[in-house]
Amino acid sequence: MRSERLKGHLDLLLLSVLSRGPGHGYEVITRLRDRSDGAFELPEGTVYPALHRLEEAGLLASAWDIVSGRRRRIYRLTLTGEEALAEQSQQWSEFSGSVARVLGTPAAVSPLRTALPGVTA
Amino acid sequence: MSPRTPDAPADPVEDYLDRLFVTLSGSPRQVRHTLAEVEAHLRDAVAEGVAAGMTEPEAQAQAVARMGPVQGVTGRRPALTRPSLALVRRLALTAALIGGAGFLAIGVAGVFARLLLTVKGNEFLTAPWPAGTYTRADCARWLAGNPGTHSCVTAMLADHVGDFLLQATAAGLLGLIALAAYLTLRQRWQDRGTLIALPAGTAEALGAALAALAAVVCLGQAVNTEMVQHGVGAGEAWSLGAAAVVAAVAFVLALRRALRRAAPA
Repeated sequence: MRSERLKGHLDLLLLSVLSRGPGHGYEVITRLRDRSDGAFELPEGTVYPALHRLEEAGLLASAWDIVSGRRRRIYRLTLTGEEALAEQSQQWSEFSGSVARVLGTPAAVSPLRTALPGVTA
Repeated sequence: MSPRTPDAPADPVEDYLDRLFVTLSGSPRQVRHTLAEVEAHLRDAVAEGVAAGMTEPEAQAQAVARMGPVQGVTGRRPALTRPSLALVRRLALTAALIGGAGFLAIGVAGVFARLLLTVKGNEFLTAPWPAGTYTRADCARWLAGNPGTHSCVTAMLADHVGDFLLQATAAGLLGLIALAAYLTLRQRWQDRGTLIALPAGTAEALGAALAALAAVVCLGQAVNTEMVQHGVGAGEAWSLGAAAVVAAVAFVLALRRALRRAAPA
């Protein structure tokens, strides 16, 4: 998928990935790639400004820790982040369902579903 | 980030982190944290590539390619990226070096002009203005300023020669001050970010090009004056051209030295 198209949904994807458990930047990228079966490829560096922005907004919190012998910044979802994820997942679900109905295709084919546990469309 | 001497072989990960360092803005803590995060990310990606059977250089190149441009990490478009402090410092050093050398070259031209004066006289250094382009008041001022002269033309020549030599001396002193500032700041700004903010030899190459251009223009003008005015007034252009040649040669030698220092072992 083109990274420009993906960027519009990056915050939602990051919140979703971190809802499965805390992780550092490289883990976040790896989970995103694995859960989308490699469909979500974007310049990996672009994840960091997004993570920092989400932390500034209070949706994520971070702490430094030593993992596998390296000092890493571990991100986790805050309560506010969980609420934002639920709300954005609902919005995405409604939007993708509407698009699917217009196109006459089942919403279940949306590749975002694999990465978004909250999507029910 | 492990320290690397200028002679060490290229390391794409280290080079990426260097580029990121000079591009990042924010508080020192934000810069340190982002660098630490990105370095851990790159080391993980390299380790993954090596575990998958790549060579170390292949894994490093792939890790850097997958990370994308440093502007992606800073979250800014390249055109909107604020110049980093390191780049500003390097540009200031470049301006001080080229400006200082340029002004010093004008001072050296003044020394050449004094030598030409003793051999060929005032009229060789600067041409008198054509009749009708100056007034009696001008003549009176020139004669008053140069009591040893007895005609308006000789007083005018002495005045113009004096002005040129005075301005050249002032420029030379200004150049020495700028070069002293350059040496002081270069000693103070030894951080790696400042050193690599511009490619090695940028200031020297730019200085050599500008000095060569000045030399061509001045020497061309001198030759033209020799042919059209039979040498009257050619001295200024000859002295400036000769000083520009000296500056160009000095910059080329400095460029060779800078490139040798930056070249891998």
